[in-house]
Amino acid sequence: MLPVIRLLAKRLGTSLIVLIGVSMLIFAIARVIPGDPARIALGPNASAEQVTALRERLHLDQPIVAQYGYFIADLMRGDLGISLYTNRPVTKDIAEFLPATLELVIASGLMMVIIGLPLGILSARYRNSWIDNLIRLVTLLGVSAPAFVWAVILMLLFAYFVPLFPIAGRVSDTITVAPVTGFLFVDTLLAGNLRAFGNVAWHIVLPAFALALSGIGQAARLTRANMVETYERPYIEMAQSYGFPEKRIANRYAFRPSMIPSLTIIGLDFAALLGNAFLVEAVFAWPGLSRYGVAVILRKDLNAIIGTVLIISAMFLIVNVIVDLLIAFINPRIRYSQRAA
Amino acid sequence: MKTMLKPFAAALVAATSLTAIAVVTATPAAAETVLRLDEVAVGELDPAKATDYADSMLMFNVYDTLVLSKQGGAGVVPHLAESWTISDDGKTYTFKLRKDVKFQSGNPLAAEDVVFSLDRMKAVGQGLSYLFANVEKAEAVDPTTVKFTLTRPDSPFISALLRLPIVDKKLVVQNLAAGDGEMKDWGQAYLSTHSAGTGAYKVVSHNPQELTVMAKNPDYFLGVPAKAPDTVRLRYSLEAATVRTLMTQGEHDITSQWLPPEVLKALAAGGTQLLTESGGSGFYIKMNTTKKPLDDVNCRLALTYAFDYEAGIKMVAITDKVSQGTPASGPLPVGMLGSLPISDAYQRDLDKAKKYLSECKYKPEDFTLELSWVGEVPLEERFALLMQANFAEIGIKSEVKKIPWALFSEQVTKPENTPNISQVFVNAVTGDPDTLIYGMYHSSAAGTWQSPEHLKDAKVDELLDRARTETTDKERAATYTEVGKRLRELAPTIFAYDQNAVFAAGNRVSVPALSDKSKAFGLSGMGFTFRLMEMNE
Repeated sequence: MLPVIRLLAKRLGTSLIVLIGVSMLIFAIARVIPGDPARIALGPNASAEQVTALRERLHLDQPIVAQYGYFIADLMRGDLGISLYTNRPVTKDIAEFLPATLELVIASGLMMVIIGLPLGILSARYRNSWIDNLIRLVTLLGVSAPAFVWAVILMLLFAYFVPLFPIAGRVSDTITVAPVTGFLFVDTLLAGNLRAFGNVAWHIVLPAFALALSGIGQAARLTRANMVETYERPYIEMAQSYGFPEKRIANRYAFRPSMIPSLTIIGLDFAALLGNAFLVEAVFAWPGLSRYGVAVILRKDLNAIIGTVLIISAMFLIVNVIVDLLIAFINPRIRYSQRAA
Repeated sequence: MKTMLKPFAAALVAATSLTAIAVVTATPAAAETVLRLDEVAVGELDPAKATDYADSMLMFNVYDTLVLSKQGGAGVVPHLAESWTISDDGKTYTFKLRKDVKFQSGNPLAAEDVVFSLDRMKAVGQGLSYLFANVEKAEAVDPTTVKFTLTRPDSPFISALLRLPIVDKKLVVQNLAAGDGEMKDWGQAYLSTHSAGTGAYKVVSHNPQELTVMAKNPDYFLGVPAKAPDTVRLRYSLEAATVRTLMTQGEHDITSQWLPPEVLKALAAGGTQLLTESGGSGFYIKMNTTKKPLDDVNCRLALTYAFDYEAGIKMVAITDKVSQGTPASGPLPVGMLGSLPISDAYQRDLDKAKKYLSECKYKPEDFTLELSWVGEVPLEERFALLMQANFAEIGIKSEVKKIPWALFSEQVTKPENTPNISQVFVNAVTGDPDTLIYGMYHSSAAGTWQSPEHLKDAKVDELLDRARTETTDKERAATYTEVGKRLRELAPTIFAYDQNAVFAAGNRVSVPALSDKSKAFGLSGMGFTFRLMEMNE
């Protein structure tokens, strides 16, 4: 078997076990949060009879093991139940909210790579110069403040004081995008509507940048640290003594081996963005899954909590598998260690 | 260095160009008037499940009811019903329907739609369906006559009809989804995303957590004025900072009432108009009458007079003229049927407080009061701290405790678990006094979030039951006044203030029902009847 296939099979197997573990854990945790889900769903004025009827309908009157059995049976049919918060099937809610979050997270992830890595390279290449100091200062600011603080600061700067960017929603009210995939970048292109595509891009700039700032800082600082260490290696000295161009030394010999830890961190950050997105989504009225997740936790909407957590966990695991594969692709030692194993 | 900067420069140029293109191309093209509002999620579109403010806004615009809340006064006026009669025993209500009403689908309104709406409300069993627990049946006497039979005389029934939106039976039956019985799911799946009403606005799109878009119904039986907004966009759960920025940019028209007072103040200072809706709700500080030391009425009266009402109202003031609270005189907001006059409003009186405390069987050094506040309502923390300071002035120790709503609503079901002091906002869901205070003070309703006092008083019970059977407003008003006086004697509650909902609105919209007392409705949420609003551009 090819080493990469072997690695993929191993990672997918582990991910499945983790996912089952998460489902059991979240199922149990959701049930110990204080409050009766039926009472919360029916509202403060519901009678005791109404609450009892709903508890029975949701199987909440049965032991937790039996409840888990019902959940797994439904899950096998692709049914995550009805959300008591929105009164719609959880799968429908997720299908509607997930693309918005994924679009936001992918845009943020791209910003982390496109801005973070080059900043790190620049900083290492001109280490201890004013460029390096400036980049380190800026990236430190990015790392030190949480995303929602940046969200508010960016909103103040680029919407309140200098109204350059929109701050609510994914597309302007005046534009209608026919939903196909739920990903507005894709749907606008499918419709051949470049005006709408530009409008969607215009809307995503501030939230994605606010969400990405911390990751940009981490990626830049880690890349710099690793590259500075690599620059101390004898083979770099050798390359320099042979008169290789600085750009080639930086990009090929210093950056490539330094990329592995950065890639791992970016992968983890990227997956964590799914969880961290909720405050940014709240500030920018972004109709995403993270905001939905927090809302359903507060309402103790059991089906929706489990559905949301499972989807976010699955995304987290998928991103980790992709990062593992990328690292294996970049680093032959990891790739070939699979063959040895 | 130059070569290293190239990718940056390229990325920057690309991003700037994209932004520039987007900015240039995103120019609004529409000439229609659009009203933009926000509320707290979720927006429940199914009228049988509507309870919250957002739900009411949807319901009052998409659907109609047999009667409508009277503007500028208490009571109801005919709406889908032309007229009605009440039998001598007060148990049968017969309504004559208008003949010129059509649903948005084009189907004509008929008596069987009213029957179906009631049956559906009761079968779904959610939302405000408990208001109709006393209705035995509804029958279509002929296509324009419908008869309701009650199990006992119930004066608040006529106001309860404000919460019975009439749905299009034919359309709903055509769209039933899987479920038990003949009516399957009673159209719940369909009505959670579609409208089936006669209302002045129809739903164009609906996402309960994000946005509902509504458009004028040109065939509305009362007509929709040209100046009313063509389209309404109701967004859900916008953050205060976002709303403030949108309002400043002129991209939002009316805020929700849930903005912090500081944000409302800032908006008002910038020239934004403030709209208000009042008369149907209050802020109540509830005392657990079953636990030491508040099982002694003297201790309760001591706290009642130690509380600084004026400071409380100042805390929720927006400007010198507009506040989220006005002085309360008793359990019913001033102006509601049977309420006590404003001259009876409570004043802080430390001498009286000390006197009552000295007559209490518990000594202040022997107890520590538990002052709870609901975690989801930060304003209540301020009131808990105010109480702590106020009560300390008469020597009462207390501790402030934050409780999540879910836990609070569970704790109050048992007197022993209910905190000494709880804080709640209660609203008359039909505008009738019964829906405000029966659930708070009748002993049969003790132990809910509305009644953490666990009050059991035979006289209060008798009065509240009697008010339900009295048929004239005069009789009912007198009885409710008596209830108010009795509750002042028993002091189970500190009546902190009568609540005013305050909304900030841009100057491109006029809302007479929220700015002119003579046009105000006596029912919370009805001020957002879009057809009565005017867009000024």
